[in-house]
Amino acid sequence: MKLATRMAQPEQRRGERRRWLFAPLAIPLLCLLLLVVIVLAVSFGSTAIPLGTIVQILLNGTGLFHFARQWDPSAELIVWQVRMPTVVGSALVGAGLAVAGVIFQGMLRNPLADPFLIGTSSGAALGAVIAFILPFDTIYGSLFSLTPVLAFAGAITTVFFVYAVARTDGHTPVVTLLLAGVVVNAVVVALQTLILTISPHAQFGLQGLFNWLSGGIAVTSWPPILIVGVVIVSGIICSFSFSSVLDALTLGEEGAAHLGLHVERSKLMLIAIASVITASAVSISGLIGFVGLVTPHVIRLLLGPGHRLLLPTSALGGAIFLVLADLLGRVVIAPAVLPVGIFTALVGAPFFLFLLRNSKREYRW
Amino acid sequence: MVKADQARTEAVAGEPVLAMRNVSFGYRRQLLLYDISLAIKAGEMVGLLGPNGSGKTTLLRLLSGILQPQQGQILLQGRALEQWGRRGVARRIAVVPQEFHVPFAFTVEQMVNLGRTPFISSFFGSPGKDDQAMVQDAMHAAGISSLADRIFNELSGGERQRVMIAMALAQQPLVLLLDEPTSHLDIKYQIETLELVKRLNRERGVTVVAAMHDLNLAARYFPRLLLFQRGIVADAGPAEVLEPGLLSRVYGTSVQVGILRGAEHLSVLPSANNERSEAQEEHSQARVHVMAGGGSGELAMRALADARIPFIAGALNVGDSDHTLALRLASEVITEQPYAPIAPATLEQVRSSLARVAILVLCPAPIGPGNLALLQEAVHASRRGLLVVVLAAGEHTQIDDKEEKFDLAALDYTGGEGKKLLEQLLQAGAMVVGSVGEALETVKRGIDSKKRL
Repeated sequence: MKLATRMAQPEQRRGERRRWLFAPLAIPLLCLLLLVVIVLAVSFGSTAIPLGTIVQILLNGTGLFHFARQWDPSAELIVWQVRMPTVVGSALVGAGLAVAGVIFQGMLRNPLADPFLIGTSSGAALGAVIAFILPFDTIYGSLFSLTPVLAFAGAITTVFFVYAVARTDGHTPVVTLLLAGVVVNAVVVALQTLILTISPHAQFGLQGLFNWLSGGIAVTSWPPILIVGVVIVSGIICSFSFSSVLDALTLGEEGAAHLGLHVERSKLMLIAIASVITASAVSISGLIGFVGLVTPHVIRLLLGPGHRLLLPTSALGGAIFLVLADLLGRVVIAPAVLPVGIFTALVGAPFFLFLLRNSKREYRW
Repeated sequence: MVKADQARTEAVAGEPVLAMRNVSFGYRRQLLLYDISLAIKAGEMVGLLGPNGSGKTTLLRLLSGILQPQQGQILLQGRALEQWGRRGVARRIAVVPQEFHVPFAFTVEQMVNLGRTPFISSFFGSPGKDDQAMVQDAMHAAGISSLADRIFNELSGGERQRVMIAMALAQQPLVLLLDEPTSHLDIKYQIETLELVKRLNRERGVTVVAAMHDLNLAARYFPRLLLFQRGIVADAGPAEVLEPGLLSRVYGTSVQVGILRGAEHLSVLPSANNERSEAQEEHSQARVHVMAGGGSGELAMRALADARIPFIAGALNVGDSDHTLALRLASEVITEQPYAPIAPATLEQVRSSLARVAILVLCPAPIGPGNLALLQEAVHASRRGLLVVVLAAGEHTQIDDKEEKFDLAALDYTGGEGKKLLEQLLQAGAMVVGSVGEALETVKRGIDSKKRL
């Protein structure tokens, strides 16, 4: 008996060390990958700009370097004012949705949970539909058109409503929350269809609405990206502080309470963070599925389920994923642009299935 | 760290580490636990027994602060549980649930690490060297160091149980609460798990409170047993708690208790079906019905039990001291919900019992609107010819007619109706006796005369 334990010891140590070595490397590696992908994404488009020039323009933009300008000034305009907002927007949306996915999957202990589960998607869609049929725009139209504002409001209102419906006696049971989400989603989608059917304005905006619903980074100026970026990034940083809470919540609510957690309070905070992130992401990108569902699963397969590592790596992974999907959407049948949502599913699903089938460890729930 | 922990335990040895004061709890309207008072000293090892639904798990959840009692107080180291705060409680009480379902592929070490959660700042805090040492120590103590890198979900039931115990140990608890720690395990792991718990109790001075469904394992490992039936029915060592009559009544099935050859502890076995069990015999033989309440039946029931006269008691409310006593002494107890008036179904049970027995002993319980119906049943039975013995209240041994009637009226809280019924009872031929001894004599005579008939 003693002999067996002693022999098992060295192997266990090695496994432990490998995990520790790999984990700190994961974040720098993913950061590097994200930078590469961003440069790549900026270099593709209707006007061909050499990769070297792009790097020089971008480095000039940081203010730390100065390369002598040997390129057409319009190239600089295209890079900074046309392509970068879209690419940065994609990265933000991808990171936000992936982190929201991690939060919902961890908190609800459900593998099928995604950021849209408790009403964000249908609420945002309803808001967008209303914006499309209204005959006017906001006075801040140049900064934020009506669509993102109403989409954000719709998403937040719906989540709040779902939470209120699910809450009984000071508790919000997970099952009730899920069911309330499904039911409210159905009702809101029905409302959306009703509005589209009876509205006389519907035909005009229909193509635009369809594009919005399929998902695509439609914003082409910096200010909205910056505002949404501040919200999403601070939401993601907030979520990092909940990594131990999310770990504890995987034991179930009672198990988490035994570890000294205020379960209801934590759940409310997590729902609030995830919903604000999702709503801001959706407001500039429309409904992009699959990023929030699959990214956390892929990262978990590669790096394990501990949230301290899972949250930042998922954020980076989601950003990389969506920048790539957006790139594909612009390249495949250029100059036409395909909705991002198509590629998140078409590329993401096979990749996920490949990982799932090849993972050495059985991926259990 | 471990030594500091022990010092912490020893400092409070002698005074209860965990105490309940008159705790009542119920879900919705149904009262599940009634008026429980209990003190657990540091270093004790206590087993909770009781049938399914008796409230063992609920009691553990109250003790761990997951549920708050509707009445009463739970004290941890002499201070109310709410005042410690969730985190403070988690640093002193660890819970091992029946089973964890973990949706992610956490390794054993990550799981045990979770036990440090209450000690790590929840905002951006990360485990330090001390925490790492505690985790290694806990895994070593639970004998799972070699499993550290395995995936928790892929372990066997016994190994998982050890991991859950190691996780609880990483909380450096004063008190370890276990909810049926052996219910999912086969016999080897049952023994291993309880040996581990016992070792932790001995070596680290961890106070253990465990809900047990296996009476034999409880008898073997727990020096103190609490038998539950909504309230505490018995609180003593195995020899006293594992009494066949008591277990039969609480669990509702007849059992035999004995010492198997070569064993050092009591064993409980269900009686074979074709044998007439002791309880059933008592049941068919019971010829006396006792109506009591509020402690009024204590002396009479003890006297009957001492004289080995089997009797039926009821209807009694859960939580009434007479109910608790009756569960120990009577061959059958007719039970009513706490504080509730007598329900029609319960009344029907009383009626059928009165039809079977030869004698009714009416103890001087206060008569209120809730139990007036019982008295009516007594009057009906008496008119049908049942011998009714009315035990007069107080210390009066001298009875003349007037004084006794005065006494009866003093017990009446219904504004005359109770008194009227008592008078009807006396008219119907009930005997009034002044002392328990006298009542016992009357009962004995009554049984004998009925037998002769």
